[in-house]
Amino acid sequence: MNILSDRSKDLGPFVPQPDDDILICRCEEVTKGEIREAVHAGMFTIEEIRRYLRCGMGLCQGQTCGKLVKGIVARELGVANTDLEPATSRAPMRPTEMRVLGNDGGNE
Amino acid sequence: MDIKRYDVIVIGAGPAGLSAAIEASKAGMNVIVFDENAKPGGQLFKQIHKFFGSKEHKAKVRGFKIGEELLAEADKLGVTVVLNATVIGLYAEKEVTVRIDDAICHYKGDAIIVATGAAENMVTFRGWTKPGVIGAGAAQTMMNLHQIKPGNRILMLGSGNVGLVVSYQLMQAGCEVVALVDAAPKIGGYGVHAAKVARTGVPFYLSHTIVEAEGEEYVEGVTIAEVDSSFQFIPGTEKHFDVDTICLAVGLSPMSQLLKALGCDMVEDPKRGGYVPECDEYGETSIRGVFVAGDVSGIEEASSAMIEGRIAGVAAAYELGFMEKEELDEKIAIHEHALDTLRQGMFTPKNRGKVLEKTEEGCPVSTNLLKKGYLTDEEVFAYPGVTKQAGVHPVMECSQNIPCNPCQDACPKGCISIGENITSLPVVVETAECIGCGMCVASCSGQAIFLVDESYEEEFATVTLPYEFLPLPKAGDKGKGLSRSGEVICDAEVVDVKSVKAFDHTSLLTIKVPKDMAMKARFYKEG
Amino acid sequence: MKQTADVIVIGGGIVGCAAAYYLAKKKTDVIVLEASDSIGHGGSSRNGGGVRQSGRDPRELPYAMYGIEHLWPTLSEELGMDVEYCQGGNLRLALNDEHIEILKARTADATALGLDVTMVDAKEVKEICPHLSDKIVAASWCPTDGHANPMLTTLAYYRRAREMGVTFITGEPVVELRKIKGKIRQVVSKDGTIYEAENVIVAAGYEGREIARTVGIDIPMTRFFEECVVTEMQPKMFDIMLGVATAEVYGHQCAHGSFVFGSGTGMESANDRIGALQTSALGTPANCRAIMKYVPALGDAKIVRSWGGWMDITHDKVPVISTVDEVPGLILAIGFSGHGFGTGPVVGLMLSQMVLGEKTACDLSALRYNRFKSKV
Repeated sequence: MNILSDRSKDLGPFVPQPDDDILICRCEEVTKGEIREAVHAGMFTIEEIRRYLRCGMGLCQGQTCGKLVKGIVARELGVANTDLEPATSRAPMRPTEMRVLGNDGGNE
Repeated sequence: MDIKRYDVIVIGAGPAGLSAAIEASKAGMNVIVFDENAKPGGQLFKQIHKFFGSKEHKAKVRGFKIGEELLAEADKLGVTVVLNATVIGLYAEKEVTVRIDDAICHYKGDAIIVATGAAENMVTFRGWTKPGVIGAGAAQTMMNLHQIKPGNRILMLGSGNVGLVVSYQLMQAGCEVVALVDAAPKIGGYGVHAAKVARTGVPFYLSHTIVEAEGEEYVEGVTIAEVDSSFQFIPGTEKHFDVDTICLAVGLSPMSQLLKALGCDMVEDPKRGGYVPECDEYGETSIRGVFVAGDVSGIEEASSAMIEGRIAGVAAAYELGFMEKEELDEKIAIHEHALDTLRQGMFTPKNRGKVLEKTEEGCPVSTNLLKKGYLTDEEVFAYPGVTKQAGVHPVMECSQNIPCNPCQDACPKGCISIGENITSLPVVVETAECIGCGMCVASCSGQAIFLVDESYEEEFATVTLPYEFLPLPKAGDKGKGLSRSGEVICDAEVVDVKSVKAFDHTSLLTIKVPKDMAMKARFYKEG
Repeated sequence: MKQTADVIVIGGGIVGCAAAYYLAKKKTDVIVLEASDSIGHGGSSRNGGGVRQSGRDPRELPYAMYGIEHLWPTLSEELGMDVEYCQGGNLRLALNDEHIEILKARTADATALGLDVTMVDAKEVKEICPHLSDKIVAASWCPTDGHANPMLTTLAYYRRAREMGVTFITGEPVVELRKIKGKIRQVVSKDGTIYEAENVIVAAGYEGREIARTVGIDIPMTRFFEECVVTEMQPKMFDIMLGVATAEVYGHQCAHGSFVFGSGTGMESANDRIGALQTSALGTPANCRAIMKYVPALGDAKIVRSWGGWMDITHDKVPVISTVDEVPGLILAIGFSGHGFGTGPVVGLMLSQMVLGEKTACDLSALRYNRFKSKV
């Protein structure tokens, strides 16, 4: 069982911060405040945060914001950065047009 | 379907990947290297500065030259390097899918060496998404690969080697660097890199970070402020600069996504720069036959990436039966030794976070250097490379133990000694006679060696300094002498400019300054 | 940590989270145990997002229709979060006569049960969705079908249930159920923790089979890996849920603008990498080819990621939603066979009704656990 397994953990009230409006994920336009609120709504893993907010799911595939999001979530949960499993990596590693992906000779 | 097979597939044609391919190929393996870029060499081709290290490991050679040498070696061995080839997937059975032109090609290897490098980190502040905020690595790509000036007035955030080196290169490209800022209380990179920036007049703001990037549509200014020990802004300490560009040099993260997707055991290791594969001393991951080398397995320098690459190449050759155990052990021993050497000194990963007060020799560590980027006029005499002598002699303002020793071989007269331990500070051998050739000045990758002649004329001394800016001043030019902090301290006249092939694009400028400025003037500016 | 409740739900997917929510609404004390570290880690986040009735087995159709009529239209409002439900209709496409025959048969079945679904010709298909291939000859059309965001829907149930006091414990795989005095009572996790309740709902997908076996119940199930691809954001092109007669492609355009499509190589049944969630080297290209056959306009859309998931498939391809005679207090809700997302809300509702002894919204007698008989 990991340390965040009990989702009833009391994180205290959500306290707005002056920089909550700063964009963290620029591809999907997700702010710091939205990420912090998501944690308070019960999204305790990077996987849940991504599904809930789409941060890190855009064209850069989380290359830019991955570490930033993790830092924010860890701070909000009061755990170390290393306690959070990073996002899953998924092929294709670079966005690729469907007509190119489909052109692999796989059905010849 | 057509699946092409190779003994080894290398992903990434940077220093690690090319080195791995070279070793694997030498062992008789059939090797293919993929790189998504149009040019091979990874970061090496952006590195126009001279590298640190030992003679055996390309010290004082400029990064892009090392890249050219690696490519030529790989080419001679018959390694296939495929460019504009993006590996989009790495699968079980050591299969990779590669985008080449408008098709996806399938390749399988008996071993895979992943050398995908790293990506730049970002920090957030108000306005960080405005055009004009760029990564320092991106700025370097623009300047050194594409000959595009990233901006005119630039603020650099981050005082690690990347921040320091790129600041210097920005100035070489004709940009003005208005400040070098770091939230940490001390400079993260090599002191010599900081000193060569500081002496041009760039102010350092440690324990400061960016409050806001200003501007409507794009960056037009920036405000920084001091932070306390818990990195909170201290009100009233704000400073504003008019800039059009903000460069972020706040670290790198390994690009290990392919390995995670494949299912290698991964670990979050801040000492290695982030999320990295678990691997053994040969760079083999938890999946047999899948190796890693270079930044993807932990952020380090290009020099260590090249050695890691060679180790992975050799290890793959052994694993697939292309090399006997004795040969493996022999080669690995050499590479391990080289790697150990590079990981010595004050900046070794073991010392990260530690406060060092003395050098290996017992000299005091300059706090001024760590906070402002330069040694004070008094501090400089604490180091064994700085002596007062009659006639022309080298002054080596090298105050930190780093693995680098080209200066000792550069002097044809044996005036400079470092000894067995590559991280030792250079010592002036007072019994040997300096002939003022300047080879040491040009050989120092940190631009920390000067020739001083206090007996040049009755009232005047000369200082010979390394100079890598254009336009090059001419003998007879009159300008100003700048102190180590970049302050104008005296009039200076250029008496000699030497640019010879052996100096490898470092020109030697000899300036005439008042005698009492001989140990103070360290840079020259026109006007 | 809380270990006793009125109800323990095993599985934090959409069925488990929805059941927990509807139980909490009736003031029932619930613990949800999820084996993985994240809520909705399994099929609940790994599906095409279809909320449809057309194309379903007649045994599922009544409750699929109930959900679309009574739950989905107000779900976002009820849960306080936009689940991106879009009732854009479902086109199931045919490229040839053989396909038309398949669709006609399904359409006839569904019409008999009162569903508004009709066959449309090529011209009508183009009117409904101009971006589809000219090679499409006909389709079935169900205007009341649609799609929603499966990840958000699952998380919305979780979020609301958590707010209402349901205890969720993740990273807690269940290895054993135990009866006390002939009734279900204990749930044992991998690390030996014992949870207790008088009612236990097993909504754990394929893993539910192993769990049920520990009290002597075995459901004939297998599993099957399927892959999906996601495009970058595209201009708004259509609202419909897209399916095809052969079921080889399904997908929709999300509220966000990206398309999500599922498809396969045709070799999935031979996949033995049990447990792994990686997509395959052949799968993503095959998926793209299949999509372009029906929606050629997407050829230049970039795929930003692929993902896959395991479907828990019963022998007769409809789920088991059932109490268990031999184990009073135990309820099984497993084997959704690759189409459980759209019915997740109504199944959750009915599970709460089963626990509370209320009449279920629809008759579930065709989905009993003991329906499987030998062939001879």
